[in-house]
Amino acid sequence: MNITKIRSVCIIDDDPIFIYGTKRIMNEADFTDEILVFNDGQEAFDALKAITEKGDELPSMIFLDINMPIMTGWEFLDEFIKMPNNNSENIIIYIISSSVDPRDIARIQQYKIVNNYILKPISIEDLHNILKSVGN
Amino acid sequence: MQTLSITSLIKDSPSAVAILDTQLRFAGNSKVWADEFCPNCESLTGKNYFDVIPRTPKKLKAILENCLNEGVRNLSEGEKFIYPNGEIQWLKWKINAWTDANSEIGGLIVLLEDVTRVKRREELYAKSERVARTGGWEVDMHTNYVYWTDLTRDIHEVSKDFQPNLESGLNFYKKGEHRERITNLVTNAITDGTPWDTELILITAKGNELWVRAKGEVEFINGKCIRIYGTFQDIDEKKKTELDFKRISNRLALATQGANVGIWEYDLISDSLVWDDIMYNLFGIEKIANQTTYDTWLNSVHPDDMERSNQEVEAAISGIKDFDSQFRIIWPNGEIRHIRGIGVTKKNAQGKVVKLVGTNYDITELKNTQMMLQKSEESFHGAFENSDTGMAIVALDGSFEKVNESLCASLGYAEKELLTMNFKEVTHPEDFNDDRSLLKQITKRKRSSYKLEKRYFHKDGHVIHGILTVTAVKDTSGELLHFVSQVTDITPRIKNEKKLSHLVDITTEQNDSLLNFAHIVSHNLRSHSSNLSMLTNFLIKEKSDSERENLLVMLRGATDSLNDTILHLNEVVQVKVGAFEKMKNINLYDAITDVQKNLSILIQEKNAVCEINVPRDLKVRVIPAYLDSIILNLLTNSLKYSSPKRAPLIQISSKIESNAITVSFKDNGLGIDLKRNSDKLFGMYKTFHRNKDAKGIGLFITKNQMEAMNGKIEAESTVDVGSTFKLYFEKPLT
Repeated sequence: MNITKIRSVCIIDDDPIFIYGTKRIMNEADFTDEILVFNDGQEAFDALKAITEKGDELPSMIFLDINMPIMTGWEFLDEFIKMPNNNSENIIIYIISSSVDPRDIARIQQYKIVNNYILKPISIEDLHNILKSVGN
Repeated sequence: MQTLSITSLIKDSPSAVAILDTQLRFAGNSKVWADEFCPNCESLTGKNYFDVIPRTPKKLKAILENCLNEGVRNLSEGEKFIYPNGEIQWLKWKINAWTDANSEIGGLIVLLEDVTRVKRREELYAKSERVARTGGWEVDMHTNYVYWTDLTRDIHEVSKDFQPNLESGLNFYKKGEHRERITNLVTNAITDGTPWDTELILITAKGNELWVRAKGEVEFINGKCIRIYGTFQDIDEKKKTELDFKRISNRLALATQGANVGIWEYDLISDSLVWDDIMYNLFGIEKIANQTTYDTWLNSVHPDDMERSNQEVEAAISGIKDFDSQFRIIWPNGEIRHIRGIGVTKKNAQGKVVKLVGTNYDITELKNTQMMLQKSEESFHGAFENSDTGMAIVALDGSFEKVNESLCASLGYAEKELLTMNFKEVTHPEDFNDDRSLLKQITKRKRSSYKLEKRYFHKDGHVIHGILTVTAVKDTSGELLHFVSQVTDITPRIKNEKKLSHLVDITTEQNDSLLNFAHIVSHNLRSHSSNLSMLTNFLIKEKSDSERENLLVMLRGATDSLNDTILHLNEVVQVKVGAFEKMKNINLYDAITDVQKNLSILIQEKNAVCEINVPRDLKVRVIPAYLDSIILNLLTNSLKYSSPKRAPLIQISSKIESNAITVSFKDNGLGIDLKRNSDKLFGMYKTFHRNKDAKGIGLFITKNQMEAMNGKIEAESTVDVGSTFKLYFEKPLT
């Protein structure tokens, strides 16, 4: 199996336990070498915007929570789509949420930019599947 | 003695003869003379004529003297004398002078005749001819000579010396029918002796048309007509009157027949009742000539009306009251008809009523129509008065002419008050134009009725919802008389609809909030459980003691969070089951100041100012614990999310509105971007600031508490300027 590491991953979530757990599982799975963490949508948007403005490369994958203070996952997506030079075609976005609300799932499908939806807690198998699908 | 013998001969003359001498003394006279002119004289001989007849008119005296002196004769066919006492005498005389042997005038022979009687008759005849406008005429068939009397000439308007012949006489008759008729009549008369008597028009010499009555008779001798004669009467005036009368009678007959008016005449003396044909038709009886009596009529009258009708006739006869009545009659076939009878009385010279003359006509149709109208009016009246629907008769100017109880009840006015008002005064101004424009369509005859949902004002000012139906009422000629308005009061229905839709809103809202709640519960519990399962998985695999310690701390935190979440959810559930019976009238000012005291340390720390502009006695109807919780939450929020740039200022004010008491909490804090967050401001677990204390539960609970108290909460906010929360409380029960 030819497994390619993800160049860089961005985690946007307000739950410190989730961030801790995800980082730990990513290490175990040898998922990536670079992890950017933001605690809400606004923080992430501001940082990513700064990166594009500097001309640097954006993370190649984003794990995005929905329910966050200040700026929710939805709002982040709305703003991110509008951001110039977002390189969105090459960025893979996963929604990671504990919500099983069908309204949320229906809403995800409206965003073409979103690749898939992963229900919390994230498991090592989830990461393996991601790597496989990206590799293919 | 010769003289004497003559005188004695004269004595027995059948005429009145007198012989006078030169001294006008009677030499002899006939007995007739003495009888005629001097009946009481014993002997006239030797007496002077003027002594015997002293009143001899002057004229005659002069004639006598003249005849004696001149020896001439004098004749008179008749002369009229009027004596001083006024007496009229007609005298006819023949006077001759006589001569003796020597041809000397010896005296006069006087033949005198009193023709007064004959002349009077002649005069009378002429007068009557003039009065009767009757002239005479005569045609001598032998000589063809035509004689007309003066009056005949007069009638023909020709001069006195006009001389007609038979043909020109006939040509005076009007050409055509009239001339032909008289020509035929005259021809027949001449041929076979038939007399005639006819009425014809002639055209006078002056061109006037005249009706005349022409009578003619014929004299035959040996089978040959020798003379026709007759009279000729001007009947123009009479004929014209007659023709006029005939025309008028015809017209009247036509009119009465057309109007089916029967005419009757009741002769009280003979107790005979004369009916015209229409009367028989009206009473449905066969005509029997001369058999109709008062009883014929009375027996036809309906038994219930008989006595009254009879009395009315008697009242008319006795002059108390003219006969003008209505009564029912029964036809032989049993049909009942209504009759109107009118009669006038005719009195004789003594002022006694001898006749009643009058008319009858059938008013059954009218009566039936009247009864139907009365019935329909009664039923309309009944429906109008007893209807649950508000009803009004509205005049063309919009004023109420008649209103029913139901309308009065709906609008809260007394009938008297409404009758002085115009529909505009009770109409909601926003609906008036719709109503008026529809009404105009009726007056312009574009429609005859309309239906409209509109609002009225009750006398006490509240709005009445009604469904109005307006119908035009027209008279027989199509002129608009008034409108009939029906108003169904649908206020209770509208109220119920509102209540129902409010209930539906609440139900929908509660459903939504329940669904939200379920998702919130599942989401929040799930996020904790997923953390717990992840952490326990790590713990199982973790070998490093320090890392296990770290994981246990996190596990502890996760279980605490789970516990918090469950407490919050419980709190929310508690709010949701909050009951109305816990609501009380609470002094708002006291409640705010109590919370303020509890927060005094925090207020001091933040160096905050709290301005309370609420009346000391203002009460709101709330669940006391919720009110405290709400005030606490809002004040805490204002302090927690105050701007670091300025000292916090919190202004609390109240306002009494029509159906709520509003309280506003205004601060100068961080503010919230409501454009982005309006839908989740009051949502559960929504936070808007990176504040560690923010749990996203406070406003969610506040909102639920407000709703549990039938109130609501609204927010206005500008980032970095401040927020204002507006609370709507129920008014206290009094």
